[in-house]
Amino acid sequence: MMRTRISPHHPREFGSRDHFPGSGSVLECAESSLDRKCADLIPIYNAVMKPDPSLQYGFLTDATLCIGCKACEVACKQWNQLPADSASAMVGLSGFSYDNTIDLGATTWRHVAFIEQDSPAGVAWLMLSDVCKHCVHAGCLDACPTGAIVRTEFDTVVIQDNICNGCGYCVPACPFGVPQLDRSDGGSHKCTLCYDRLLGGMTPACAKSCPTDSIRFGLVAELREDGRQRVDRLRSEGVDAHFYGDEHLGGTGGIGGLNAMFVLNGSPSMFGLPARPSLPGHNIKPAAFGALLTAAGFTLLAMISMRRTR
Amino acid sequence: MTVPTSTRHEPENESTVRVGYYGVPVIHEPHWKWLVIGYFFFGGISGSAAVIGAYVQLFGGPSIARIGRHAAYVSMIALAPCPLLLILDLGRPSRFLNMLRAFRPSSPMSLGTWGLTAFGLLCTLSAALHLLHDLAGRADGGAAFSKSSYQGPTLLASLNCLAGLFVAGYTGVLLAATAVPLWSKRPGLLGPLFLSSAMTSGAAALTASTHIWPSGDHRAEDALQRFETISTLIEGVLLLSWLSALGPTAKPLTQGLMGYVVRNGVAGVGIALPLTISAISHLLPSRFRRSASLASAALTLTGVFALRYAVVEGGRRSANDPLATIEMTG
Repeated sequence: MMRTRISPHHPREFGSRDHFPGSGSVLECAESSLDRKCADLIPIYNAVMKPDPSLQYGFLTDATLCIGCKACEVACKQWNQLPADSASAMVGLSGFSYDNTIDLGATTWRHVAFIEQDSPAGVAWLMLSDVCKHCVHAGCLDACPTGAIVRTEFDTVVIQDNICNGCGYCVPACPFGVPQLDRSDGGSHKCTLCYDRLLGGMTPACAKSCPTDSIRFGLVAELREDGRQRVDRLRSEGVDAHFYGDEHLGGTGGIGGLNAMFVLNGSPSMFGLPARPSLPGHNIKPAAFGALLTAAGFTLLAMISMRRTR
Repeated sequence: MTVPTSTRHEPENESTVRVGYYGVPVIHEPHWKWLVIGYFFFGGISGSAAVIGAYVQLFGGPSIARIGRHAAYVSMIALAPCPLLLILDLGRPSRFLNMLRAFRPSSPMSLGTWGLTAFGLLCTLSAALHLLHDLAGRADGGAAFSKSSYQGPTLLASLNCLAGLFVAGYTGVLLAATAVPLWSKRPGLLGPLFLSSAMTSGAAALTASTHIWPSGDHRAEDALQRFETISTLIEGVLLLSWLSALGPTAKPLTQGLMGYVVRNGVAGVGIALPLTISAISHLLPSRFRRSASLASAALTLTGVFALRYAVVEGGRRSANDPLATIEMTG
């Protein structure tokens, strides 16, 4: 299948091939032959092209390029062997435009949101593939009491299913509503940024399958730069564009930025994203300090009220 | 092209139905229900009963030491269901020991597990020492038992006090360290509210226990009553400050069924009635005073349970309200 480069400013076309940015330029001279001799080259290719664990990898998901095909949802479910959502499996459609999965959840790690907005100018028709944000400081990881949630060598956040005991604390500890307990196996699940594929030198399934490069996989620093440039360009064209995933929007309040970033053509809340979320762990200090003060108060109270009976 | 428009063009208040993305919650709700509500209730009683027992021993001197014995037993009995409640709440109960495979200071649940484990050991040790002493007293023909001024080692009491305060207080911190608007908006008040309500319930449980096993020490029981009354007052003040500081985020606790539970159960039955009873109890004939204190203790315990229920259930409603999250996260 021929791919069309939609976004003209991309220096390289991540996601269209198993090309890991940051892992050298060996492939650049051999791109065309690689396509033909792919099978023969896989072992060499993997050895050369494995992502460098010292670098940070993430997604840039661009709402202005999304056509709502849901290839990412399908590819994700297929690769990660996720079943259909029980809620929508019977009905097929939710009534929310073409959205049949409604939300990210235990068995939906990519969710394509469909927004239809009536306005005098016509109907706004927006789509966005939502995903785990792989936060720089992740609420789920902080909350996990068992150590099941880890930060990987690719700087992604992964729940180790063989450790998770289903305490469910990561679920409300995520400011974006990503992890969820699966009733059928009791564990908490979310996007792994295809950790297994990264180990094998492959692009995550969703980015690989995206036909418009709305989902790009790559180095966080590069993607962030590209995303900001894209937003500037869109704004100069009069689009209400926002970069979501840095300290200004999405990555505020101690989260320190997102490794899975977004280019939005509308307000974050329209897409079900919190504009200025904060890291839940930041509440520990004031809550614990308050409790300590109260404990001191009760001890003082006891010293006074119990001493009378001496 | 068929566009499923059935939900879109319904005339009823679209603005509230379709906040954010079709009104889908921004965050995911916690799954905690009755098992965790039960744990918060019993864990609070257990921790604070141990704390009050330690207070009695450390500050009260030997004259009211008998309450220490009640505290050791009440604390142990209230602790007994806790591990079971917590394990059954897990999605994968057989992996409960994974809680002890890591020490993670960033996770209040991890700290809580280790704190509860330490407290469990101290609490069991304390109860075992009292039991051994009581059994020895029985074998003695009741001589030692009737005096029963036994106190455990002061070091054990001090450690029990610290661990008990931790167990009684960390649950509020745990809830505050989430993205749930109701729990996370005013963390500096939720922590104190949970600790103070735990202290109130611990004092009430101890008072109730003196009706089952009379301590024969009126001064001790009076001291306990005073403590319970002041603790109830503190709890009431903190509840009011928390609810008013939350502003519109308090909606899940002020409207509907939860509003009813909070107004009548928590504030009415749990705080106003016991305070009224303790205010007028000195006017009652002395033979009614004991029943009044028992009634007051029972009402207080009911109120604290209602508070645990309302905060946990209200948290789920708050998480499911996209408007609450959007308001908080701008």
